[in-house]
Amino acid sequence: MTLAPEQKKTKKPKKLSMKARYEALTRGLDWEPSYVQKSEMFPHLDYEGITIHDWSAWEDPFRLTIDAYCKYQAEKDKRLYAVLDGFAQGQGHLNLTDASYLNAMKVFLGGVTPLEYGAHRHFAYLARHFAGPGPRFAALCQSIDEIRHMQTEIHTLSNYNKLYSGMHNWSENHDRVWYLSVPKSFFEDALSCGPFEFLIAVGFSFEYLLTNLLFVPFMSGASFNGDLPTMTFGFSAQSDESRHMTLGLEAIKFLLEQDEANVEIVQGWIDKWFWRSYRVTALVAQMLDYMLPRKVMSWKESFELYFEEQMLGGLFEDLAFYGIKPPRHVEDAIAEKELLSHQVYWILYQFSFAASFTTSAPTDEHMDWLSQAYPDTFDKHYRPLWEKEKKNIANGGRHFARGLPQLCQVCQIPMGFTEPGDPTTLCQRESEFEGEIYHTCSNGCQWIFEREPEKYRQAWLPVHQIYQGNCGGPSVPEVLEWYGLKDGDAGEYLGSKDHQNWVAWQGEAAADTAAPTNEKKAGA
Amino acid sequence: MAIKSLGEYNFPSRSRQELYGDDQLVTVWFQDTMWFCSPAMFRAPREMTWGDFKAQVFVPFAEEDPDFDPSAPRAWTLHGKPFEPEDGRTLSELGVRHKDVIGTRVAA
Repeated sequence: MTLAPEQKKTKKPKKLSMKARYEALTRGLDWEPSYVQKSEMFPHLDYEGITIHDWSAWEDPFRLTIDAYCKYQAEKDKRLYAVLDGFAQGQGHLNLTDASYLNAMKVFLGGVTPLEYGAHRHFAYLARHFAGPGPRFAALCQSIDEIRHMQTEIHTLSNYNKLYSGMHNWSENHDRVWYLSVPKSFFEDALSCGPFEFLIAVGFSFEYLLTNLLFVPFMSGASFNGDLPTMTFGFSAQSDESRHMTLGLEAIKFLLEQDEANVEIVQGWIDKWFWRSYRVTALVAQMLDYMLPRKVMSWKESFELYFEEQMLGGLFEDLAFYGIKPPRHVEDAIAEKELLSHQVYWILYQFSFAASFTTSAPTDEHMDWLSQAYPDTFDKHYRPLWEKEKKNIANGGRHFARGLPQLCQVCQIPMGFTEPGDPTTLCQRESEFEGEIYHTCSNGCQWIFEREPEKYRQAWLPVHQIYQGNCGGPSVPEVLEWYGLKDGDAGEYLGSKDHQNWVAWQGEAAADTAAPTNEKKAGA
Repeated sequence: MAIKSLGEYNFPSRSRQELYGDDQLVTVWFQDTMWFCSPAMFRAPREMTWGDFKAQVFVPFAEEDPDFDPSAPRAWTLHGKPFEPEDGRTLSELGVRHKDVIGTRVAA
């Protein structure tokens, strides 16, 4: 018997660990220029006053590689598109709580989706302009995330666009319609900052401090109101947000650790961008308390949980180690939690004739919910307004504002907020710069204006522009046409195109599923 | 604090008075009712008399409030100080500047 010679075991090629693959991926990204100065290649790194001694001290906590990134995101996309298909084929839109729920999504589509695109562009820019392979690659990944978010949001909501009003022209609306100048101006302010300020503005203040307030209520609201596709894209995006939040947090710690002189600069940015981001989330406040037919939680509860407990109680206690204090004017935001949503919805209600969504006065049941959610303020300050409006409606005079509102020079929201501690007096702050008067809605916005008046005097305020004749013409129909709004997009919800369709479709759906009558059975 | 920028940063206001020709922006702020969600801004000629401003601009807007009483005597403020408009004088004669806010409430 001959024995076959023992075969040598061949070694499998050694698989690199994720960390090693990441290192291989980013190796050589930080080269020394040979025929230009480093300051020419990276012109943005110094002028904000930030000092970085060692770029290699930045470590991307996720260290994702391209193949791993694509694999995760493809899995999430597959799930989302399966849900979208199933929802569309099964006429899932008829299972929403009410067609009025979609007003929240119209606000989201016009207000948030274009910001995702802006974030995509600017993070790509940062990937080019930051030094250090870690920040560059992290910014690149976030840039790809943001464009993916924009795409999934458009795909998800285009499903509704076939059947409901107000979603057909969101991109142009974002550039033109008055209330969308609020998120637009916020983001363009950030885009026109230096790279480090942008990172604190969007990566930290918006993504870290307030993204839970933006995303969680929207997506929980979607889930509570039968909107499975939105809930799915929300969770898909939210899993990226945790990475973005980590980028924001790592960025701020990196800046603070690099040089003591950075602390004061970063504190100024936190103070500014907390307030600017907080004013944008006012759209979420009214959505939670007024736009969702089935309520999730009140703005007040949401603010207490996600901001006061998690951010002030947790994050800022950690940052105190670096010498960072809670944001300036945060006490005004806390005091305002009892008032914010009511004031913002009262504005949207009166101006919804010029919006890409509809509004309606709250029903008695809705007002009772608001009373229990806001026991100290709703019955005292806001129920009387709605009771008066009910009489007004009964007399055929649904309240749409005839004039144009005075806007805040910084946040661009109509000046409908009240004095801290006095919910019956509108807040008016006046500043003068080089002989011209500018108005702001709050201590926070006035502080921001006076810090950089050269920037905010350039603000494109919709009301001023309408009066300058730059928005299609002087009359309301001309302006609405210039906005790209169509019949059914705006105004009162009750009796609107969406409402009428909804009632008809619900009747048909009920008829389709009703038990057959005896007569039909006999004839069968 | 000046803006930190790569180059010079000095651009004119996008709401400066000269962009409105002979007109200016004037804001009316109702101080004793929350019925109007915010003060209202109007474009009016600087040479418009107060009487015309009141009849042609102020009253048609104020009537949106079902409780508005056009005959009620009103108190007015400008820059937080009492302001006593006279029907025959123009906005500019009365010292109302571009983007000024005129406060109003029913006189006690």
